Amino acid sequence: MTMTLRRGIVAVTLAAFVAGVVPAPARAAMIDTSAAVAASARSANLARVDSVLARADVQQRLTDLGVSPQAARDRAAALTDTELASFATRLEQAPAGGDVLAVIGIVFIVLMILEFTGVIDIFKKV
Amino acid sequence: MRIGRTAVLAVALLASGCGTLPGRSGGPGATAPWPADTPPQVDLSATPFFPQDDHQCGPAALATLLGASGAHVTPAELVGDVYIPARKGSLQIEMLAAARQRHRIPYVIEPRFETLVRLLAEGRPVLVLLNLGVDAWPIWHYAVAVGYERDAGRMLLRSGRTQRARMSLWRFKGAWGRAHRWGFVVLRPGEVPQAATASGFAAAVADFEHIDKGAALRAYDAGITRWPDAPLLRLGAANMRLAEGDRAGAEEDLRELLLRAPNDVAARNNYAELLSLRGCREAALAEIAVAREHARGTALAAAVDATAGEISARAPAAGEPCP
Repeated sequence: MTMTLRRGIVAVTLAAFVAGVVPAPARAAMIDTSAAVAASARSANLARVDSVLARADVQQRLTDLGVSPQAARDRAAALTDTELASFATRLEQAPAGGDVLAVIGIVFIVLMILEFTGVIDIFKKV
Repeated sequence: MRIGRTAVLAVALLASGCGTLPGRSGGPGATAPWPADTPPQVDLSATPFFPQDDHQCGPAALATLLGASGAHVTPAELVGDVYIPARKGSLQIEMLAAARQRHRIPYVIEPRFETLVRLLAEGRPVLVLLNLGVDAWPIWHYAVAVGYERDAGRMLLRSGRTQRARMSLWRFKGAWGRAHRWGFVVLRPGEVPQAATASGFAAAVADFEHIDKGAALRAYDAGITRWPDAPLLRLGAANMRLAEGDRAGAEEDLRELLLRAPNDVAARNNYAELLSLRGCREAALAEIAVAREHARGTALAAAVDATAGEISARAPAAGEPCP
């Protein structure tokens, strides 16, 4: 008796839940603005990362360390939206702006790439 | 927690307590790069002031910002929305949500000092998050930037119990930088800051859509006037018109958008769907095929495939004037 009642409640709760999350059929195929904003931000962030990875000096340093630039790029593409945004921002804020990277700047950027793409783990929170 | 630090800070889980402002010592600000065509000093003295109660800088700062935008509310009225007693602070995400509840669109500014200066120069107070401690031992604090004195190297803030705190630029930049330069302004629907970006503005309005679709539409339309070529704004406007029942208007927005940005996947997808809904099967199939082409490898690919499936399952309607 109690079991039946409980099951009944669970079923009703689930039904309410499902009814709440299924979108109206006519609108299912419209892409809403938030989804488009997220997709657009993602591709912009990926482009920011790509522009750093495309630098010859950065590629050289990565290759020296035995990391293929393409693999780093693929791993960047697999990050979540939030991680990718954070990665792109930190790359740009690295102390190495401008066309001529100081050697220390390149090392810093490369370390950051390795960190974010999971090759090494240096920025661990202490 | 490899990437966690930044992500967590940016997303939500950070509650801000309220420290006291450090004293007036500080270095010169003259070395800082200063944006051209901004006045040497700004003091938005008409900005209201609410001295904070213990630890409640979140409600006080938000009431200050909203009041300056004509949405009058006291910190006490905001405490229930944004203050978490157990953490003696307020979450960033709840500060934004509370602004929306007062019918203002919160716009999170680009994390650059130059943007902050430009917003102040155009008369907009900016609510900023500061870390008055150090990275390992943070003391979070919300304050409202209301001006600056470039040559004296000072930021002017409504902060804590101080109506006109003059913080050295050097200290301000450190504290703001340790909070990842987070800050926001609030906009009446239809207001567009000069120092905004189209994508940031579109994101801000998209998050406001669920509050008031008509107001969101006004905001998108104002954005379109400012940035006629920004796809996201026209997409948002089309979505709002559709939500208000104006299918023809939505279709018109999307057509205009696609003239300017033919590769825009979301717009092409939605345009195809609208055509399909009114029975234009052939035209819809042609459009969705183009959308799929451009969507390959992007975050929208799955959504576009789903649309294509729905469109091919729908029968054409006779007598409909189709493009």
